Amino acid sequence: MILQEMADFVTVLLVTVGVSGLVASLYACGLRLWSAQDSTSNDGSCSLRRAGSIACFVACAFVVLFALWLMIPVFH
Amino acid sequence: MELATLIVVGLVIATALIFDFTNGFHDTANAMATSIATGALKPKTAVIAAGLLNLIGAFLSTEVAKTISGGIINEQEVFIAPEFIFAGLVGAIIWNLLTWLLGLPSSSSHALFGGLVGAVIIGAGVEGINFGAVATKVLIPALISPIVAGLAAFTAVKLIGLIVKKMSESDVERGFRHGQTVTACLVALSHGTNDAQKTMGIITLTLIAVGLQPSGSGPELWVVAVCGFTIALGTYMGGWRVIRTLGKGLTEISTPQGFAAESASAATILVSSHLGFALSTTQVCSGSIIGSGLGKKGSVVNWGVAARMLAAWLITFPAAGAVGAAACLLAGTGIGGTIAVAVIGVAAAAFIFALSKRNPVNAGNVNDRSDVTINASAQGA
Repeated sequence: MILQEMADFVTVLLVTVGVSGLVASLYACGLRLWSAQDSTSNDGSCSLRRAGSIACFVACAFVVLFALWLMIPVFH
Repeated sequence: MELATLIVVGLVIATALIFDFTNGFHDTANAMATSIATGALKPKTAVIAAGLLNLIGAFLSTEVAKTISGGIINEQEVFIAPEFIFAGLVGAIIWNLLTWLLGLPSSSSHALFGGLVGAVIIGAGVEGINFGAVATKVLIPALISPIVAGLAAFTAVKLIGLIVKKMSESDVERGFRHGQTVTACLVALSHGTNDAQKTMGIITLTLIAVGLQPSGSGPELWVVAVCGFTIALGTYMGGWRVIRTLGKGLTEISTPQGFAAESASAATILVSSHLGFALSTTQVCSGSIIGSGLGKKGSVVNWGVAARMLAAWLITFPAAGAVGAAACLLAGTGIGGTIAVAVIGVAAAAFIFALSKRNPVNAGNVNDRSDVTINASAQGA
């Protein structure tokens, strides 16, 4: 019983830290790539950075949508 | 139905709605304190957004609590009379108002459970209480919540710091402002899908207990609407004293820290509730703010405030229980006693509001200071 609760706690801890770290990293990467493409000259890497930045923000949007799906019981 | 029963049911519904109001009022800070402190949202905008999201949340979730106490009271073995619920609610409301006066975030659920347990011990005896559940649903979560949320926020702040190291500070502040707003709104919505349901459950179970609603039926639409509007109104009124403590009192927060704290709070609430380890929103949010303070180099965490908060969390349950027990003792004497409890409760609430006027905290001055005092003379110190 206690072992099961400890296992639940460790699972919650790991998943929470993992998800928070992932969202924070994605959003920060999106910002970093977006600001980098502002400051560099108009070469090929610029559009690549822009695409990377948008991909990061889109991934964040999916995490938010998943959170909404979890929150609203009618969806599941 | 007897007039006395009808009066008690009316009082239970009224006190349940007042509790619902204080619940929203007390918990605005959980979602919006960091956004208000960093300036990501103007104070009034933040409380309007939180109020609306709580209202939407109340209608979105149909999963109303099947038990009043979440297993802490042996509801199958002990008949929970409406008087017990009334006394428990009075205990929870008084404790919520007291902690608001002191600017301390504390769990409204724990206050409610504490009040009910105190009332049931007096009304039905200790055999009505499942003490194992008290430990697993109240005591352990109070200690675990800040650790989980704090570690998540700490990690998020560290990662953000590494990734945005080469960006200008103004770009970072501006960029995270939008993210912080979205994550704060998620926390507010999740609050609405959870907390208004507690009051809906109490009112519905009371109506079932006295035969005004068929057994096993869900909440009536008017109950959902009234509970949703009441918690939204409470949230809109904004417990500014608690907002100040969480936003300014624990640590000085920048928008990346606010974003990390809100993301960690939302993640902790959702992950824990879906893995069967429900944690208190208040304790989660407070823990994530401390974690975000610890994660940033140069940030200072006010451990004195954190210790006061922890003390408040630990005494919430017994303190609300003591008030609930006293209220039940008086309410148990008959309809006169029940009305006396209502009058004393209103007088106590009025006294607490009068005390708060000595040093008011509102939308205009919430960010001016980091401490909440009761005595007006301390304001100028």
